[in-house]
Amino acid sequence: MSVKDPKLNRRAMLLGAVFLVGGAAALTRFSRQSSADGSRGPVFSADQFALLEQVTEVIIPATDTPGAIGAGVPAFIRDLLMNWGSLESRAQIAGVLETIEQRTWSKHGAAFLELPDSQRLELMRVYDEESVRAHDPAYRKFKQMVLLGYYHSEIGATQELRFELVPGAWRSCLPLNEVGRASAFWTS
Amino acid sequence: MDFDAIVVGSGISGGWVAKELCERGLRTLMIERGRHVNHRKDYLDFSPPWELPNRGLVPEDEVKEHYAIQGTSYAFNAGTKQFWVKDSEHPYSTPDDRSFLWYRGYHLGGRSLTWARQTYRFSDIDFSANKKDGHGVDWPIRYADISPWYDRVERFAGISGASEGLEQLPDGQFLQPMDLNCAEHAFKERLEKQHPTRRVTIGRCANLSEPTEEHIKLGRGPCQLRSVCDRGCGYGAYFSTLSSTLPAAQRTGNLTVITDTIVESLDYDHAKRRVSGVRVMDTNTKQRRSYQARVVFVCASTIPTAQILLASRSEYFPDGLANRSGAVGRYLMDHVQGVGAIGTMPGFLDRYYYGRRPTGIYIPRYANVTEDNSAQFVRGYGFQGKGERPSWDRGIDQVGIGAGLKQGLRDPGPWQMVLFGFTEMLPRADNRVTLHATRKDQWGIPLVHIDCTHGENDLKLAAQAKQDAQDMLNVAGCENVRSLFPQVSPPGSSVHEMGTARMGRDPATSVLNAHNQAHDVPNLFVTDGSCMTSSGCANPSLTYMALSARAANHAADRLASGEL
Repeated sequence: MSVKDPKLNRRAMLLGAVFLVGGAAALTRFSRQSSADGSRGPVFSADQFALLEQVTEVIIPATDTPGAIGAGVPAFIRDLLMNWGSLESRAQIAGVLETIEQRTWSKHGAAFLELPDSQRLELMRVYDEESVRAHDPAYRKFKQMVLLGYYHSEIGATQELRFELVPGAWRSCLPLNEVGRASAFWTS
Repeated sequence: MDFDAIVVGSGISGGWVAKELCERGLRTLMIERGRHVNHRKDYLDFSPPWELPNRGLVPEDEVKEHYAIQGTSYAFNAGTKQFWVKDSEHPYSTPDDRSFLWYRGYHLGGRSLTWARQTYRFSDIDFSANKKDGHGVDWPIRYADISPWYDRVERFAGISGASEGLEQLPDGQFLQPMDLNCAEHAFKERLEKQHPTRRVTIGRCANLSEPTEEHIKLGRGPCQLRSVCDRGCGYGAYFSTLSSTLPAAQRTGNLTVITDTIVESLDYDHAKRRVSGVRVMDTNTKQRRSYQARVVFVCASTIPTAQILLASRSEYFPDGLANRSGAVGRYLMDHVQGVGAIGTMPGFLDRYYYGRRPTGIYIPRYANVTEDNSAQFVRGYGFQGKGERPSWDRGIDQVGIGAGLKQGLRDPGPWQMVLFGFTEMLPRADNRVTLHATRKDQWGIPLVHIDCTHGENDLKLAAQAKQDAQDMLNVAGCENVRSLFPQVSPPGSSVHEMGTARMGRDPATSVLNAHNQAHDVPNLFVTDGSCMTSSGCANPSLTYMALSARAANHAADRLASGEL
């Protein structure tokens, strides 16, 4: 998808309008999908999900193997927040998306979805570096979901890395190039 | 008589007792409080991560509501959730300022399904420790008494390991050991060069590296190096009640198993000075009934065994059955957890491994064995650990995104070495399980109240183990060596709770004799962790197996001779 996609472009424009006009109040509307009584509504609005898709694809892009979108990471995160996440986790992830959108507006005066790939990457690179160094728990949770969603998907585990359901043998010390890529399975 | 023998509990100890009694021709009833589990059929070991609910994560709100304690276990996830109790349904009580982490599985097979499978023998250094330094009472047995039983249970269970010829960690009947990897080899070489009496060996574990005829006959197969053991193993490749002792007991035709049945108390017949049977409640219908037998083995696990004995009050045992010593419920021990270190082992970047080995390395105790620490503390500690190359999850805490992140994670990360200490805990009377005065569970049974703290010596050992772990990684050339834990974990964390019905020579100070037979009641036996007189520093399950097999055969002998 690119910003040339008219549907996407309209959404980006709308989002942009919200941020320009509404400020903090709009942000609140944008990120809080659960109602005041704490009941659980849908996890993401359509706009948020579109943003989630593009952000995860920046973190794990399609190369010679599929990226986050190709491996179903955005849907995984949505379902995880629906079926696993507490309201606190939902708010944390929504907050991460919100922060990304805020950073985009303050730096570029545009929505994330309107940015060219290079600016998306640079913006996310800086945000990632700052958040990891600051041990930001919400961002850590988000990045963990992206990586778990990708590397423990069938595509991520078997095409990008190496996964044997039943290794059948223990070889304690082999040349790395004989074994191939890192094991997608981790036990810790 | 309904049965010759009743065994309360189906975990590691109960399974062994049932097998031995059945093979001796005794009609045996095994009673399990939890649900039935079908070996193989009920396991989730063939689900790849993308087929597990939420990739194996248990919903946050569910953990908070139902698994506040169990959810903190390293082995708690969507693939194993069925093998942990809901804390919300099975509450227990602790003092406000002193927690005890009690990890439990109420189902057929108990924690034999989720155990870490580490199997080490106790030595005479352990069996004589109490007598030597005056903490606790003397064990009524020595290594020679239990050694043939270790042989027997190791052969049947199938233990992979390497012989080392160490006094403090006797060798056993081992199947082929699993190899150390490159980093572990280097660690071993460098550490042993600097400290010739500290030994690094492969973790001895109850996984079949090469099944014997006996294992194959039971339907067990070789370990497939999957490392999903705690979900249950469809290959039957690790020892559990369900893979091993239960089928062995069942093929005799002498076993009856009932599940979903809580043993509330034991009946005592004063005229005969014997227990006559057990009183039970169906967990679903809450209907009560009783079963009679000639001997009763209580193997409900350390804390519930104390609970059952304490609840079995009568005119003759006002403080609980077989408790004339007052020792029932006291002397609770665990191994001090929350001690460890991690470091990066430089080099070997062109080396990797294939397969997921279900065990790590082990450094047997050296403190106060080959090194004298007696000025600081008594007893000692051992270490488990491993060398490994982390995979994609290291990317979470690393700076970097995009194609570069992806490319970087295609290779495994630099070698990491980790060590975890297991520290001996001294038996102290104040570390105690009692029945709560007012609070009851949903079946009307008084809750257990667990009051347990680490003592001064325990914490001194742990502090030294923490230092040693870091020193050993440094000696082995690791970089960025750091402690893994800010402080020790609360008691219970090792899931090695033991000691609440200790063995001893004197009926005035101990509950059980040298054959795990109650001093006060000759046809009552206890062979789970509660029988332990001291904790040693090695994982205790193998010792429970050996003591269970030994006690069961002793009981069978005494039944045959008419003494019971």
